[in-house]
Amino acid sequence: MRVTNMVPDVQFAMQQSQQALSAALQQVSTGLRVNQPSDDPAAAANMVVSLAASANVDRYTKNISALQPQMQTADSAISSIVTSLNSAVTLGTSAANGTNSAANKQAIVVQLQSVLSNVIAQANTSYQGSYVFGGSETTTPPFVAASATYTSAQGSTAPPLSATLPLTAGSITTISDASTGKTFTFTVTAGETISNLSAAVSGAAAAGTLSAGTTATINATGQLSIGTNSSTDGIVVSSNDPALGAMTATSGTSVPNAYAYVGNSSVNSVQVGDSMDVASNLPGGQMLTSGPNVIGSLNTLITAIQSGSTAQIGTATTAISTGLNYIGQQRIPMDNALSQLSSQDSYLGQETLTLTTQQTSLVGINLAVAATNLSQAELTNSAVLAAAAKVLPQTLLDYLK
Amino acid sequence: MSLSTSLSIAVQSLGAATGALQATNNNIANANTPGYSRQVVILQEAAPTNLGNLSEGNGVVLEGYQSVRDELLQSRIQQETQSQSGANAQLASMQQIQPAFTTSTQDIGTQMSALFASLSSLSTNPTSASSRQGVITAGQNLATAFNTVSSTLTTQQSNLNSQVTQDVGAINQLTAQIAALNPQIVQLKAAGQDGGTLQDQQNQLVLSLSALTSVSVTNASDGSTTLSTGNGTPLVVGSQSLALQTSTGANGMTQVLDSNGTNVTASLTSGDLGGSVQTRDQTIPGILNQLDTLANQFGNAFNAAQKTGFDQNGNAGQNFFTVPSTVAGSAGAITMAITNPALVAASSDGTAGSDGNLANLSGVQTGTLAAGQTPGDAYSSLVYQVGSLTSNANAESTATAASLLQLNDQLSSVSGVSIDQESTNLITYQQSYEAAARVVTTIQALFQTTMSMGTAAAE
Repeated sequence: MRVTNMVPDVQFAMQQSQQALSAALQQVSTGLRVNQPSDDPAAAANMVVSLAASANVDRYTKNISALQPQMQTADSAISSIVTSLNSAVTLGTSAANGTNSAANKQAIVVQLQSVLSNVIAQANTSYQGSYVFGGSETTTPPFVAASATYTSAQGSTAPPLSATLPLTAGSITTISDASTGKTFTFTVTAGETISNLSAAVSGAAAAGTLSAGTTATINATGQLSIGTNSSTDGIVVSSNDPALGAMTATSGTSVPNAYAYVGNSSVNSVQVGDSMDVASNLPGGQMLTSGPNVIGSLNTLITAIQSGSTAQIGTATTAISTGLNYIGQQRIPMDNALSQLSSQDSYLGQETLTLTTQQTSLVGINLAVAATNLSQAELTNSAVLAAAAKVLPQTLLDYLK
Repeated sequence: MSLSTSLSIAVQSLGAATGALQATNNNIANANTPGYSRQVVILQEAAPTNLGNLSEGNGVVLEGYQSVRDELLQSRIQQETQSQSGANAQLASMQQIQPAFTTSTQDIGTQMSALFASLSSLSTNPTSASSRQGVITAGQNLATAFNTVSSTLTTQQSNLNSQVTQDVGAINQLTAQIAALNPQIVQLKAAGQDGGTLQDQQNQLVLSLSALTSVSVTNASDGSTTLSTGNGTPLVVGSQSLALQTSTGANGMTQVLDSNGTNVTASLTSGDLGGSVQTRDQTIPGILNQLDTLANQFGNAFNAAQKTGFDQNGNAGQNFFTVPSTVAGSAGAITMAITNPALVAASSDGTAGSDGNLANLSGVQTGTLAAGQTPGDAYSSLVYQVGSLTSNANAESTATAASLLQLNDQLSSVSGVSIDQESTNLITYQQSYEAAARVVTTIQALFQTTMSMGTAAAE
């Protein structure tokens, strides 16, 4: 072939080798083989998926870090409650001894009251402002001192409430009973009136959800009054029905040593793995009142020591022991979750390593390989330049002197 | 043969050598002129004089000059130039689009992960104001990421749209110049001459036109060139050029019309105009549609999950994103519907401390969208597509560049000027000239000898 001008070929060769040099330089400086999707579209697409998986591992790890102290706080509160209840059993057993003097019994009562306040304080433990035993009601203390009677805000001024007053559809009235340890919830359906609420409360009292004799009536001043029939049975009432207004404890009806659970039974769960969720809380009602009512039994024990028979003291002490066993069962899932968290944490650490390795193989480049590529590209480039310098100036004219 | 006949042959050969030197000179002068085809001098033996049985040569005749061309190669180069310009136009656009899909701290994939991470963080403490704010901020960032990528695509589309108008202008200018050369070349050919410089100029103009659009070239026997676009729309017929026109289509994009007003936009496939139109009307809308679908379906899925829960105040969850009702334009228009952190519907039971609905919101990450893919997979296939389009355009551009180089090498092997060859020609013709001059001197001496023969006799 007749060759007339080598400049375009030399320029093309220089451009190619310079592009290769620039690519090799970029690989060395970034440590990446794929710097943009077009470098390897499949690897770039897989990288997107892998990075999302890494981000998930990161968030699971963060969740574990956030959960561990919270659950440890709850766990140590439960331990403290167990210790207190054990001492209550010991005190109850010693109080059942018929030789105790009145002064001794009084001393035991004082100690039991302190045990009860400690149990309530632990059950109202909060972590970073959230109450850990309130179910999803984390903003208010879950265990509240109970009163015998609650009255509505509406009706105190004219017009008085009447049994036929329609309630607001969808509104909820909740009665938490310290003695039964249970909660009665009344959700208004359209057309229901105060008399429907009264009937439902009486029904709940008959069914044992609420203390026997609990009623909802219109009192002399025209307010709705919800109350137990006894000065030793306490309740806590709340309502969001504007027709009733806020329910407040009637002054002077406070029941000593009675505490009702006003949290709920919701269990929050937190994702700590692609298919692993752990329960992040243990509702206090489930643990302390709605099963064996340990808080109610402590109150019963105090009352029995103060005024009851040895048999009553024994029964109350046995009830606390039963409650203790129940708490032991209830905390098992939480303890398991805590150990799951720490094993999941190590697994995620391993997973991070796996993903990082995967990402390196997808888009990264071994530095030794990159360096070799660079020196090869340099060599090629120098060769092209040297060849250009040799070839381009050569013409016949150099020899025609 | 007489001395004067010999002298006349010598003068002819002086003229032939001068003419050959002229061709060499012109070749050397145009060695680097783009589109120049080397000229060769056409020398022919002069008709001999027959004297009985004796046939005497009459020297050389300078017939003229001929440009050395290869029309087949030229046409291959034009086609390859069209392919290369088309690939380059696509590559240039994709290279500007690609960074929007490159993994960074701002890309859609990262922002999507950040949104799910913020939900996860909220699940450990559903009442935390800072965690709730984190979800709102992450949602905002994701919406912004969608908006930015969409805007990159539409900006590129509108840049290409301006390019279409510019290309059509340049095409019309070139076809006018090409048409103007046609009659001049026809005239030269009719006079039996080579098209020479004018033909070179026209070829060069056709090559420039090939860089802009697909053209099919027909060379008539009279030397005129007829040009039409790839789909047969005439551009140059004889001395007449038929200008392309532009108008704004229903989608707001510039459409290309032939001289009869027929829309030929869709048939433009190569050259800068074809590449720009293809990227503007096919490639970018394809990517944009997938991005819009992702934004629309992701936004709606997230809104649906948000509505199954309750906000911090116990009210039913409302839309998290404002998503347009139609898919088109969703990525560009998606915004946050809520800015108040309390409105994140984390709760499943209406209490502020519940995190039950966060599982539904997080479930959007692993749930499938209408196309049967998870949002992450849909985005990942979009990244693959953008990478693949860019890489293909790059490969095509490189391949056509290499092929074009080879074709140009072949053409220059036929039509190019070799300085070495011209140098040897220079020596050859110089020697011819010197030899012819020597013949003249010799004949002059012979004349003098002849003259002095007479003088000597007289003495």
